Amino acid sequence: MVTRRTARFLALVSIVAVLATACGGGGGTKATATSSGGVTKGGTYRTAVEDFGFTGAFDPTGEYLGNAWGLYSDLLLRTLVTYKHIAGIPGDEIVPDIAASMPEVSADGLTYTFHLKKGVMFGPPLDREVTSADIEYAFERIATKSLAAQYGFYYEGTIEGLTTHGGPPKPISGIETPDDYTIIFHLTQPTGDLLYRLAMPATAPMPKEVAGCFLKAGDYGRYVVSSGPYMLNGEDQLDTSSCDTLKPISGFDPDKFMVFVRNPNYDASTDSPEVRANYVDGVVMTIDTNTADIFNKIQSGDLDGTSSATTMPPKAILQQYLTDPALKNNLHVDSGDRTWYITMNLLTPPFDDIHVRKAVNYVIDKQAIQKAWGGPVNGDIATSVEPPTVMPLTADYDPYPSANHAGDVTAAQNEMKQSKYDTNNDGKCDGSVCNNIIMVNRNYGAWLDMAPVIQDSLAEIGINITVRNLETGTAYTTIDTVDNLIPIASNAGWGKDYADPYTFAVLFDSSGISCTGAINYSNVGMSESQAKECGDSVLAAWNAVTNNGADPLPSVDDKAKECYALPLGDQRTQCWADFDKNIMENVVPWAPYLYATAPFVTADSVTKYEYDQFSGAISFCHIAVNNGLDPTQVPVG
Amino acid sequence: MGQYIVRRLLWVAFVLLLIVVITFLIFFVMPPTDPAVIFAGKQPTPELIAEVKRQFGLDRALPVQIVLFVKRVFLGDQYGWPGLGLSFNTRSALKPIILSRLLVTIQLALGAALVWVLLGIPIGILSALKPRSIFDRLAMGFALVGVSAPVFFLGPLFLYIFWFRFGLGGLGSGYYSIGQYGLGTWFTHFIGPWTVLALLYAAFYARMTRANLIETMAQDYIRTARAKGLSERRVVLKHGLRASLTPLVTMFGLDLGGLLGGAFITETVFNLKGIGAYAIKAVFSGDLYAIVDVTLIAGFFITFANLVVDIVYAFLDPRVRYS
Repeated sequence: MVTRRTARFLALVSIVAVLATACGGGGGTKATATSSGGVTKGGTYRTAVEDFGFTGAFDPTGEYLGNAWGLYSDLLLRTLVTYKHIAGIPGDEIVPDIAASMPEVSADGLTYTFHLKKGVMFGPPLDREVTSADIEYAFERIATKSLAAQYGFYYEGTIEGLTTHGGPPKPISGIETPDDYTIIFHLTQPTGDLLYRLAMPATAPMPKEVAGCFLKAGDYGRYVVSSGPYMLNGEDQLDTSSCDTLKPISGFDPDKFMVFVRNPNYDASTDSPEVRANYVDGVVMTIDTNTADIFNKIQSGDLDGTSSATTMPPKAILQQYLTDPALKNNLHVDSGDRTWYITMNLLTPPFDDIHVRKAVNYVIDKQAIQKAWGGPVNGDIATSVEPPTVMPLTADYDPYPSANHAGDVTAAQNEMKQSKYDTNNDGKCDGSVCNNIIMVNRNYGAWLDMAPVIQDSLAEIGINITVRNLETGTAYTTIDTVDNLIPIASNAGWGKDYADPYTFAVLFDSSGISCTGAINYSNVGMSESQAKECGDSVLAAWNAVTNNGADPLPSVDDKAKECYALPLGDQRTQCWADFDKNIMENVVPWAPYLYATAPFVTADSVTKYEYDQFSGAISFCHIAVNNGLDPTQVPVG
Repeated sequence: MGQYIVRRLLWVAFVLLLIVVITFLIFFVMPPTDPAVIFAGKQPTPELIAEVKRQFGLDRALPVQIVLFVKRVFLGDQYGWPGLGLSFNTRSALKPIILSRLLVTIQLALGAALVWVLLGIPIGILSALKPRSIFDRLAMGFALVGVSAPVFFLGPLFLYIFWFRFGLGGLGSGYYSIGQYGLGTWFTHFIGPWTVLALLYAAFYARMTRANLIETMAQDYIRTARAKGLSERRVVLKHGLRASLTPLVTMFGLDLGGLLGGAFITETVFNLKGIGAYAIKAVFSGDLYAIVDVTLIAGFFITFANLVVDIVYAFLDPRVRYS
């Protein structure tokens, strides 16, 4: 039983505690900050996300999340070549990182020789130089089946001898390391975008003495040893005397926070301030399940900004940033390098007819869709497959133009008249195949708002759709399972892996068709054997639309191969631009509607903002703050 | 009584087994989402999907998976006892994650329970003793508001007013452990979630207490007690309250048991890393073993709370006897 005296004491304690904490503010101790030219050095960038969302538990070998790539590339891991970690097309330019210069490439394009810089060090407790063997070991891990390298396909079949195998990591015949500072790659075929692939975090040097202890997918994620300007706080406490003595780094709790501090072994003279300026003393990223709370904390100064494009301001908060002059400068909108599109299945009527697919492209009211998404801040109108930052040559290309992008009903109906499904030539789809067509969509936010727009647009050409709103993951697995034969879907979006159009072209390659987990949702170029493999219903559909194979589905495999082999440069870019136009005009599996933007919000404490075009996240190595906080003292509750 | 408890404990085990089987069926069989595809990345190859399935044990027949899961729970796994397995998402042992989150949920649930009992029951008593008075009407008005206002409305409102507008930084969201941040920070950061969560329950408890006490105070034995010359305070506290609170004990046990299984919305709104918020995260990311573990723990608390309530009942109400 609580006595009156105890109750009084408890009340007093509560009041004192409330006052003490209320006066305490954001917490964290102040450290020294230096300023030059308006940009402040020091301090901590404090940010929060709803969830880390890592796909491979932060093990660089398997991790396939853009935000994680940003953390690796900006802060933790250096690769042979990298990016400048800035916004726009300059941010997609490849520059040397661990490599002393760009590689020597043989005349046949099959051999790449890199010479490494001296003095690039692993963080403590390893305290040793990065060698070519550490880079080679990263590829050994990519080839190790149990480590589930999620984008291992960029290297398998490209680098000689790199084939996924069931055993422990073993040397790869196509990678030579004649000395500690030289690494030579032998390729099986000319691969024009190899440098982009060598800038991916999975290829960053891995110290065998630590990484070698973790041979199951994701396990290394809590032990990542830094080769970059920052490290996970507590990395220096790793006991590397044996695999058994290794304990997870304290600065990373996958359920709660990540704390990055400066890597004492990093030598800035081996890097370039253009690539990594490293203004802040650290980055603290916490998980906050309440999105509105994240933005309130940014406004109150408890956080310095968002860091992931997926942390979208709720509509009311976004409105504040768009209209309030005091906040306007704290909203930053960059290109998200992602296309949102409607995908149409070439196996299912009426979308097996190219004229119907073209009519869909003409009739969609993209302006209304953009409004449903909240306006230009959330996306620019898309008119082709690749966003302009990936493919500048098609920036003004619009094969299905309409006034204000509001849809051209007349052009759409004229196109529909040429279709076999418009039997009475009235510009509208006739018969039962045009009614009650299932369209898969996502079950939240802008997707729900835009579904009626699509319904109304398609009704103009006689296509009546029934929308199935599903949770994001379910929506994807519904359309990526081929025998579901989903006719049309608006849930899909695709972001680049790196700034080469190839990373979009894979979506139309027949190798992107697998019975489950397909990425070529339209089944462009599906062969008979692939149809057979996916079951009787798929084979029946394939036979019906191809006239038992007499009129095969359009394929772009050969055209993609042509472009793929070309070296980076004008010829390659033109090749991919033509590829894009061919897709949009002669295959037409998509009706792209928006190029995603990447809106970020920062607090007044940010003295320099930068966006990393490679990762699609805030550029941690170029951002500056004036809060003077010590990253190890920032509360992570 | 001993036999009764043993029988009930066996029943608890059976219910938990049933929960495991049903949860497995719901999350492993029914959804069209294949977790292996989700965890194989953006461009999953069939080989990668197969490898992920193998590592997660999803390549085995479902009954085998269920048996192995149950075996692991009872006998433990490489991470100790009880064996809660591995998170697909973070590839780390679930036991420490769930234990640390359970600790947060326990603090939330017990604190809120204390608040709603201290708030709801006295309000109910005072209302019952002065029915239709101003206080009674105000109290029942409060109860109506408390019952009607959901946590997802009150929580953000609390944060907006006290933390964001009034700038009381200590009343913000997040979990700050006593060990790391001190008693004051811990306490102030719990004021919001405790209050918001307790309001709903306090309202229910006030209404229940009032109704039960009014009914009890009209009983013959109360009249007898008064006729014997006992003070009103003694009549109310010793004779009236004891009888009228018995149904509240049932309610309290079940409510607390349910909350210990996770206060999903409160934890999400106040960014408390509790078991409820974890359940939501696990469901959305398809972290199957985490889902089953959390469901199992929630089920355990609810069934166990039922058992405890039944036992406590026997002590509170002499008419109840178990054999």
